Amino acid sequence: MTKKKKGANEDKIIETKSKNVSGKSQKQKKPVEKELKPVEEGLKEEDLLQESGTDSDYDGDSLPGYLDSDDFDSDFFDSEDDGTQEGTEDGDVEFSDDDALDHEGSIDNEDDDESEQVESDKGEEDGSDEGSERGEAVEESDSSEDEVPSRNTVGDVPLEWYKDEKHIGYDITGKKITKKEKQDKLDSFLATMDDSKNWRKIYDEYNDEEVELTKEECELMRRILKGEAPHADFDPYAPYVDWFKWDDSIHPLSSAPEPKRRFIPSKWEAKKVLKLVRAIRKGWIKFDKPEEEPNVYLLWGDDSTSDQKSKHLTYIPPPKMKLPGHDESYNPSLEYIPTEEEKASYELMYEEDRPKFIPKRFTSLRSIPAYENALKESFERCLDLYLCPRVRKKRINIDPESLKPKLPSRKDLRPYPNSCYLEYKGHTGAVTTISTDSSGEWIASGSTDGSVRMWEVETGRCLKVWQFDEAIMCVAWNPLSRLPVLAVAMGRDLFFLNTELGTDEEQEITKERLHSGNIPEPEASVAAIVTWLPDELYGGIKIRHFKSISSIDWHRKGDYLSTVMASGETRGVVLHQLSKQKTQRLPFKIRGLPVCTLFHPSLSYFFVATRKDVRVYNLLKPGEATKKLETGLREISSMAIHPGGDNLIVGSKEGKMCWFDMDLSSKPYKTLKNHPKDITNVAVHRSYPLFASCSEDSTAYVFHGMVYNDLNQNPLIVPLEILRGHSSKGGVLDCKFHPRQPWLFTAGADSIIKLYCH
Amino acid sequence: MDVDREDVSRRLHVKFVTKLDSPFKVPVNSVAIPSNVTRLGLSSIVNSIIESDNPEWKTEPFDFLIDGELIRMSLEEFLLAKGISAERTLEIEYIRAVTPRKEEEPSLHDDWVSAVNGSSPRFILTGCYDSLGRVWRSAGSCSHILEGHSGAISSVALVNSNDAETVTVATASKDRTLRLFKFDPAESVDSTTKVRAYKILRGHKASVQSVSAQKSGNMVCSSSWDCTINLWNTNESTSEGESVSVKKRKGNNQAEESQSEGEAVTSLVGHTQCVSSVVWPEHDVIYSSSWDHSVRRWDVETGKDSLNLFCGKALNTVDVGGEGSALIAAGGSDPILRVWDPRKPGTSAPVFQFSSHSSWISACKWHKSSWFHLLSASYDGKIMLWDLRTAWPLSVIDTHNDKVLSADWWKGESVVSGGADSNLRISSGIAIS
Repeated sequence: MTKKKKGANEDKIIETKSKNVSGKSQKQKKPVEKELKPVEEGLKEEDLLQESGTDSDYDGDSLPGYLDSDDFDSDFFDSEDDGTQEGTEDGDVEFSDDDALDHEGSIDNEDDDESEQVESDKGEEDGSDEGSERGEAVEESDSSEDEVPSRNTVGDVPLEWYKDEKHIGYDITGKKITKKEKQDKLDSFLATMDDSKNWRKIYDEYNDEEVELTKEECELMRRILKGEAPHADFDPYAPYVDWFKWDDSIHPLSSAPEPKRRFIPSKWEAKKVLKLVRAIRKGWIKFDKPEEEPNVYLLWGDDSTSDQKSKHLTYIPPPKMKLPGHDESYNPSLEYIPTEEEKASYELMYEEDRPKFIPKRFTSLRSIPAYENALKESFERCLDLYLCPRVRKKRINIDPESLKPKLPSRKDLRPYPNSCYLEYKGHTGAVTTISTDSSGEWIASGSTDGSVRMWEVETGRCLKVWQFDEAIMCVAWNPLSRLPVLAVAMGRDLFFLNTELGTDEEQEITKERLHSGNIPEPEASVAAIVTWLPDELYGGIKIRHFKSISSIDWHRKGDYLSTVMASGETRGVVLHQLSKQKTQRLPFKIRGLPVCTLFHPSLSYFFVATRKDVRVYNLLKPGEATKKLETGLREISSMAIHPGGDNLIVGSKEGKMCWFDMDLSSKPYKTLKNHPKDITNVAVHRSYPLFASCSEDSTAYVFHGMVYNDLNQNPLIVPLEILRGHSSKGGVLDCKFHPRQPWLFTAGADSIIKLYCH
Repeated sequence: MDVDREDVSRRLHVKFVTKLDSPFKVPVNSVAIPSNVTRLGLSSIVNSIIESDNPEWKTEPFDFLIDGELIRMSLEEFLLAKGISAERTLEIEYIRAVTPRKEEEPSLHDDWVSAVNGSSPRFILTGCYDSLGRVWRSAGSCSHILEGHSGAISSVALVNSNDAETVTVATASKDRTLRLFKFDPAESVDSTTKVRAYKILRGHKASVQSVSAQKSGNMVCSSSWDCTINLWNTNESTSEGESVSVKKRKGNNQAEESQSEGEAVTSLVGHTQCVSSVVWPEHDVIYSSSWDHSVRRWDVETGKDSLNLFCGKALNTVDVGGEGSALIAAGGSDPILRVWDPRKPGTSAPVFQFSSHSSWISACKWHKSSWFHLLSASYDGKIMLWDLRTAWPLSVIDTHNDKVLSADWWKGESVVSGGADSNLRISSGIAIS
């Protein structure tokens, strides 16, 4: 009976421990773990239980309470489940059987004194308690977890496959089971504090849920940990059925009873394990690190055949080749052989539609010819081996033409000047400047030979020649048709010449304007800059400047004329008024060296080009420039304004031309780099959407420059034509459009003026 | 043998017919000729046939027509191109080649000859940049000088030649005036007579470009750089206002005693640019060409334009003639001579385009009697004779050294032309049947 009691007591100790309860009667306080650990850890606990219970991280407060007595313990169980009461009696019945076995076992087991000693230390037990526990286990159904199918259906796969997924697997209907949100550590700790049943809760990784173990399950585990039969109803002490007949044998095989060591856990083994555990704990034994997944893969492996692929869930093996049938026999039955008509129809088919194999009959194997494609296929194979590309390349084949901006065809932009039909010959030096009269009947030209000539556009006839001593710098027709005055600049002088065109009344006005009899006294501010003088040579007026003139421009109303003296610095631009015969300085300061000036075609703006920038001034509002156009050019040589007044073209000495849309920006809208040499002049047509540039490379470029009234639409610029024809020496020095026709006049350093017509 | 057969196979049987008179006639027999002959070959064959009959025959160039088209390539190619069968006997009509046979001495002027008029068979009128008009009885003999202008003469026109005694001519000048002259061409004097204008027509605001007279001679029209066409009376009788102006001028200049001034009867306004040329072929219809790229037909009665042909190029010259005097030929700032048929409905595209010139066309004139022939003069220095039946020029007269500024037919068989080489050239002997 004592043996029985000992065993029962032992059971009790384990149980109390597993319930986070330590019996007062026990010598040591039992450490309590909040969660049941796997068997391996259980071993450790057992070790703790026996060896060093005091150093555990046991926290007494968290325990539901101490069990003072065995009675209380039993009460505790009873209160948990009323049904257990019933089984107590059965347990008692069984227990008596056990008792008997114990008696027998204890006879031989004397040497195992250690265990006996331990057992004897345990407190007294009464059998009913033990029995009630057992009966409970018996009544409990043995395979409860089999009955409840698990939520997740992924099967026995490593759960790390789903490590990075949002779901843990699939339920029975195939829907994804999403992971629960991870609880905060603090929260989970607090939850465990509050929940008295917490110690029985296990996290089920597979189903991603908390499982609360029933008491029976706890019991089951305890038994397993203890090394007992998991089910309580298993009776280790079942009555021995002695099958051996002792009676007849004189010498029994062995009369010795079963040794105790056979059914009692080995103490020495436990010690050995304890040693190992200690060693592990102290770090004397080091486990191998968990093997990491090799993070390498076969770089050159074919994807389709790689093992990885085949391991993958969605791997679909390639279809197997069809086995050859009768038709592929060398001597198939006649029904497989296509008839003549069928063969003929195959011939008519497209190559792709034709069957790959047409059955043929050979009377014997010997008569089968060699494979007809053998050579071809081996050749192809060789090409394969050479990595010979034979399939169509997948390189994007972009036509460079398609990358060009879509420009309208030149044909649609007609008319524009493209061929030279007329030449104006007569100058003996390079023609530096030309100007067309407003009607387009005449042009005037100035040359380095000192002559100014007036030509009839229509025939190329030179009508008038004015001879001067100096090379002509600039000629400009008065924009008014009723005032046929030609302004000619050479050296420091500016002449107003009467062309003697126009009707008699017009001539009278012109003569009156150019009458040099009563030139008023110059104002003091300009006296140092210019002097108005009568021109003895041709009876007009001449204005002597203090520096040589580089450029002149008439105001649209034909009364004001601006002259630019490139070296005149701040006094480099002056305005002459023909009707009052006086000169005034600009009402604003010019920054930098002026190159050329322009009057706005309709407003009171005045453009001054310095070497690098163009500044726009308002003549009515003296002061700073209203706008500064940054050309980004090295040296401006010329500019021309679109008749609309919003677009300006600037030519430079590096061969670049800038188109400014002044509504858009102070930066060039387009910069055209066409000429390899200096641009000498640019011109814009008065009515046609054309502009041109001429250069020292002896070409002139004609562009289509359409300006739209719609502010949303940017100007359209299309290069149209390169006009060649001037001899390469010296280039083209000036170009002007005919005022009414889409024609371009170019003045060449070869002393010829050319007219390019459409 | 083979060669022979091939030769035979390439022979064509042709029959030469002509509308020409006896010395040019050949017997109407079928002859076999090699198929690769060109016009020159055909011409020599015909010449040799004629010569066989008439030993005093002088070689004469001929031109050949098959089904009304001139042969301008080898016969074989021509038949292929036209799809004419070579099996049957071909009927080839021959005409005397339209080409000048004689080049007369140039008549030198003092300056560029800007205008030539050969309307009168008795004389040639020329206008010159030295502001003088000249009357030439023949090559090298100038009978009259028409003086008075202060600017280059741009156009001359014969106004009235009905009167046997005196003829009236009009000159247009860049000095913005027109002048009317009267002279007697029959005056047989060796020296040249200077003629002053009997009437000055003022009113244009810019250079007058062209002048043309009504058939009756009562009116002239003129076109100018001021974009208008003015109509003027040519009669000497003056209204009161005009006589006043005459008196004024008398005070200024005693020499211009007989001069009167005229004002424009009416102005035809519509062109937007320089009106470069006018012709007045019928009583109340004026055709004009302009630099605004259009040819217009004006109704004199209403003063409105009844036809407006858009050409796309600035035009320098226009003439009306051809079939029913209805075809309009015009040339301008490109080397193409265009011919329109305004009777053709629904289109303003030219029916013929002749493009053998290499520069601007300065003049074009229809032949007075032929429906097919016209001439064109160009700044490339060439005068070309055209036949509507072929796209190639019949003949190229390349006598000028510089731009040809004006050209005209004279006496139906000559071409007179003036150019920037200051010469009046007469190419005669053009046989147009």
